Amino acid sequence: MSFCPATYASVTLPTVEPTAHALNTFLASVERRAYRMAQIALRHEEDALDAVQDAMLQLARRYARRPSEEWRPIFYRILQNRIRDLQRRRAVRSRVLAFLPWGGEGEDDSDPVERAPDPAPGPAAEVEGGEIGVALQRAVSLLPARQREAFLLRNLEGLDVAETAAAMGCSEGSVKTHYSRAVHALREQLGEFMS
Amino acid sequence: MSNEQQQTPFERRAGELLRDSADSLDAATRSRLTQARHAALDGVSSRPAWLDFRVLAPGGAVAAAAVVAVLMWTGPMQRPAGETGAFDDIELLADADAYEISQETDLDFIEWAAAMGEQDVAGT
Repeated sequence: MSFCPATYASVTLPTVEPTAHALNTFLASVERRAYRMAQIALRHEEDALDAVQDAMLQLARRYARRPSEEWRPIFYRILQNRIRDLQRRRAVRSRVLAFLPWGGEGEDDSDPVERAPDPAPGPAAEVEGGEIGVALQRAVSLLPARQREAFLLRNLEGLDVAETAAAMGCSEGSVKTHYSRAVHALREQLGEFMS
Repeated sequence: MSNEQQQTPFERRAGELLRDSADSLDAATRSRLTQARHAALDGVSSRPAWLDFRVLAPGGAVAAAAVVAVLMWTGPMQRPAGETGAFDDIELLADADAYEISQETDLDFIEWAAAMGEQDVAGT
């Protein structure tokens, strides 16, 4: 039998695996903004760290072999899902507590953190104290969830409409609607301080 | 953002403030994020998890034990009379005498020997 090098040359080798270095570089480039996004949504630093860490783990374990240009929308999709999970758990916890004698006073499915009274002095006072950034974060955290996601993914992370739609799991039209409403609401609250 | 030129001054300012807040995280939070990243990267292996020796070894051991158990349960293989198998072929090839016979050119002698054998069988 004659040896035919061409036969062996045509064998497709496995694709080059993404290196841990590339993934490390990607995660390092997004981790701070991801944390801030989670912290604004959850208004809880430990929960925000948990959400970011879970998103990192999921990306590394399940999607590291995907093309690196897909990592960013996938990572933020995972992160948004994790944030919603944590908010749901809070809601369930509050419902369970409501049944207990020492529990809450009434049934409310919303996130108890969101229902908590806001001790902030308000945008005007914060702006006077040079804390316009804090006022903005607080205003964003009070937006409806989908509007908050669209605003942060586009304005904080810098995703375009298509990437934001992929990260949110909705259509580009929905992204535009949520984003537009978010900007409108924020401008009403803070526009005069941020011009 | 790719369409930053289309943003209003309010949107641009909001984006700057949010990114500044992300860049100015305290050292403790940055450290914990770094630890979280390293922990996540520890889960990335250079090959699929199912190819990991630590995963394959127990499965291989169980499979080998199952094969041994089946062989012990069924006992030595019994072949029906008259049926030849691969082992017979190997024995024939390995047998030096058989090789010589197969190379024998005196076919008349072989036919005579075969006929004598058949007569012996018929006679008994």
